Amino acid sequence: MAQLWKNLQQQPKCNTRNRPIRSPKAALATDEETSADLSFPLFQPSSLPQHTPASKLELADPDFYKIGYVRSMRAYGIEFREGSDGFGVYASKDVEPLRRARVIMEIPLELMLTISQKLPWMFFPDIIPLGHPIFDIINSTNPEKDWDLRLACLLLQAFDCKDNFWQLYGDFLPSADECSSLLLATEEDLLELQDQNLASTMREQQKRALEFWEKNWHSAVPLKIKRLAQEPERFIWALSMAQSRCINKQIRIGALVQDANMLVPYADMLNHSFQPNCFFHWRFKDRMLEVMINAGQRIRKGDEMTVNYMVGQKNNFFMQRYGFSSPVNPWDVIHFSGSTQIHLNSFLSVFNISGLPEEYYHNSKLSNDGDSFVDGAVIAAARTLPTWSDGDIPPIPSMERKAVKELQEECQQMLAEFPTTAGQDQQILEAMPEARRTLEAAVKYRLHRKLFIEKIIQALDIYQERILF
Amino acid sequence: MASVSPAWLYQDGGLRSMDSVDGVVAKRLYFNNLKISFAGSFPASVWKFKVGITSPLKRSPLLPCIKCENSDKDGSFEHVSVERAPYHSYMDSTSGQLEPASGARASIPGQDYWPEGTASRVRAARAPEPTGISTGVSSFGKNPGSRRKKYKSSPSATYESSETNVVVNDPVEAETPDDASEEPKDLLSEYVVYQTEPEKEELTGYELDKKLGRPHPFVDPKAKKPIEEPLTSEELWWNWRKPDKEQWSRWQRRRPDVETVFLKAMAETGEVTLYGDHPTMTECSLYRARRHIYKEERLQAEQEKLEKIGPMAYYSEWVKAWKRDTSREAVQKHFEETGEDENTQLIEMFMHQTDREYRIMMGTDIRIRRDPLAMRMREDQIKQIWGGDPVYPTVNYIQDPNEVIDYRGPDFHEPTPNMLPYLKEHGKIISREELEKILAKEKTEELELTDMDEAMAQAVDIGENDDEGEDSEVDGDNEEKITRNWSVLKSNPELQKSKGKPKKNNMSLDEAIDDSENITDFLLDFEEDE
Repeated sequence: MAQLWKNLQQQPKCNTRNRPIRSPKAALATDEETSADLSFPLFQPSSLPQHTPASKLELADPDFYKIGYVRSMRAYGIEFREGSDGFGVYASKDVEPLRRARVIMEIPLELMLTISQKLPWMFFPDIIPLGHPIFDIINSTNPEKDWDLRLACLLLQAFDCKDNFWQLYGDFLPSADECSSLLLATEEDLLELQDQNLASTMREQQKRALEFWEKNWHSAVPLKIKRLAQEPERFIWALSMAQSRCINKQIRIGALVQDANMLVPYADMLNHSFQPNCFFHWRFKDRMLEVMINAGQRIRKGDEMTVNYMVGQKNNFFMQRYGFSSPVNPWDVIHFSGSTQIHLNSFLSVFNISGLPEEYYHNSKLSNDGDSFVDGAVIAAARTLPTWSDGDIPPIPSMERKAVKELQEECQQMLAEFPTTAGQDQQILEAMPEARRTLEAAVKYRLHRKLFIEKIIQALDIYQERILF
Repeated sequence: MASVSPAWLYQDGGLRSMDSVDGVVAKRLYFNNLKISFAGSFPASVWKFKVGITSPLKRSPLLPCIKCENSDKDGSFEHVSVERAPYHSYMDSTSGQLEPASGARASIPGQDYWPEGTASRVRAARAPEPTGISTGVSSFGKNPGSRRKKYKSSPSATYESSETNVVVNDPVEAETPDDASEEPKDLLSEYVVYQTEPEKEELTGYELDKKLGRPHPFVDPKAKKPIEEPLTSEELWWNWRKPDKEQWSRWQRRRPDVETVFLKAMAETGEVTLYGDHPTMTECSLYRARRHIYKEERLQAEQEKLEKIGPMAYYSEWVKAWKRDTSREAVQKHFEETGEDENTQLIEMFMHQTDREYRIMMGTDIRIRRDPLAMRMREDQIKQIWGGDPVYPTVNYIQDPNEVIDYRGPDFHEPTPNMLPYLKEHGKIISREELEKILAKEKTEELELTDMDEAMAQAVDIGENDDEGEDSEVDGDNEEKITRNWSVLKSNPELQKSKGKPKKNNMSLDEAIDDSENITDFLLDFEEDE
């Protein structure tokens, strides 16, 4: 799995960055066990980061870009770097904020694996030969639900096609032990999640994948199919790739507009962020997928290029689909029982959050510089805490404080329900640097949940302090 | 071989710039002159020896730097080269922009005017190619994740679990290209084997030498073809020279270049072998390069000699009267004794030089026969390059001031000595008397006309044409009246007779005419009667 999420805490609000970055030496690779500083910034002293995120990482294998360049894929002003968490795309030079979105990558259609989402299934490029039994397999899937199975079959077929780009590119995809998708997780890992719903969902998914494999790769199937996935693990790995790296876009090819599931080679190395730099754009003229920097976005050298994978989803969705989670997911939801509510407007004004409920953002113009407390978690809190807002009726401070206390108690209760505390989780993670990725991801998932709740408690504290002015 | 004219120019330029014999500064000019003079005065063997010293393999001509006696003040000299300064573009004074040297084209419009999609294609084409060589090798779909950098040691080695331990994607053994050992069961089911390593070829002989870098002939002797006889110009397929006959003027022929003519002359004397009748561009440039290199070599040799033996010894070659020792040690000793430095000693030495020697040294002595090829060329060849004499370009233009020039050409005829009788003979001229006679005859003819008018005047209009009507009759009457009244004499013959008679004294008409002064004598004077 590529490096999964970009931690908001490292985004600069006031922090200066030193430029230029030193070129990373190869020796840095072995020192990269201290990747903890990237993963757990909350436990870092929030000092000025000395380097850009890019300087700690090593440049990827030069063949990685070269195989694409030869096939007319282009990357402008970016470089691919690899760290202990996987690949990432980093800017190699500063970009001024322009009116227009800037293209940083363009990938032609021939390199991608695309299936339309609806019947009739069309493949771009069409690597499935006429009469190949894989097509029957794809045909047997459910048109609405089994898009990932289709993509997985297509990916496996691509690995088998002679002179296919994915044969070369597959070497740079995360292998099964590097992949943190929960499809590859064991029972233990699922238990470590400490989330029953998610665990059961994942078990279902695993079962579904296994059934599919058994149905279509039984022993009597022709060699053409059999050699695509000799073991179920390979199929499940392909399925996890398909799920986590798929881009769903509405593309126009020729005159036909269709929704498509695409596996795009270089664009899938972009990591996720809730405040992304980039977005995907389909250029129908020459059938290229462009990765473009947001208009008006200033990029410094060494900044990571990020995309928003899915808007408006909770952490468990990200965990299920992509295999990562984030403590600062602004769409995370906690279910509060009880009827205590706090005043929404004063909560928002305390933390200088502005915007409509769907698009809460931290308004840094109102706040003083140096206030780095408000992040996605606080925004999620603003959304998920039970609030009331009734026109101009002012909140009564005493009632507010009472409500706050109650909510905090509830949060503490939730935290107590967990078998471990956040600190313990952190220690567990530090104690096993060589854990399996899935285990690590599971532990991180529950850790982030706890951190989120803790953050809510903190936010309520601050709210309580500032309520009177 | 050297070209003469630039040397001459240099000579003249050199003479004027050398104001003092601080021409201890070894100028290039000397070398140009020296080689010309040497060519005539020294036996060729000396030169061959000298040229042979500089190894023929060394083909790196150094631009001869003008070196100062004091090397402190250097760096301000211009390196002059014979070649044209190649430039492909220049800043045009009219447009103020960078212009190509060879014919300008309209400017390419900016990005705003490009058709759609051009900008992205241009950007894709301009993207730099990735550098860097990868150490890994692709597994072609067998080992996904094999070329990633492994930061954590593989947990599958330590942690055994059947579900996660994927045999195929074992990263520890991913480096080894030998997949067959890991998956023995696959050998049975997967009977398609792909060849990954190329076959090794055996090279022998020439190719082996070439590969190993051992000395080998330029062309593979097995593949070498024998050199054929050179074709004539007409047979050469690349000779697309247009024939002269089709042009209507000789001015339209291709102008010969210096190198072309020289090469052709050299080919005629046998110094150089051309591949056809006329030298091609390649041969010309080759000749030019060779000539340049020879010149460079000779200049270099001269320079080295100067440096080796010192200026005193070097220039004493042209001062026969200087018998003293000119070696460096002697110069040094003299300096120590008398305090005269090298320049002063040189000045003193040149005091002993004769005018002839000076001219020889500077290369301007016309009495010395030089024998570069330019002297040997035929006159028409010389004229092709340098043109003829500007004052008397052809023989026809030479003028003898005492000459009587005969402008007569083949169709020139002699002028007639007596024009007048010639013209008279042919009737172009008549004498005055004859003219007067003719004029006189012309007078009598006028009188005959008046008789005719009398007859006309006496005629009466009958009015034959009835169509005309009253107006025309009236007009006709008026006209008749007018015609009649035109001459009263003619309308009234009795008047004429009455007037003419008293004057006429029984003379004939002719006598009367001769007697009269003019016609008006015959006019009757009416006023006298009435």
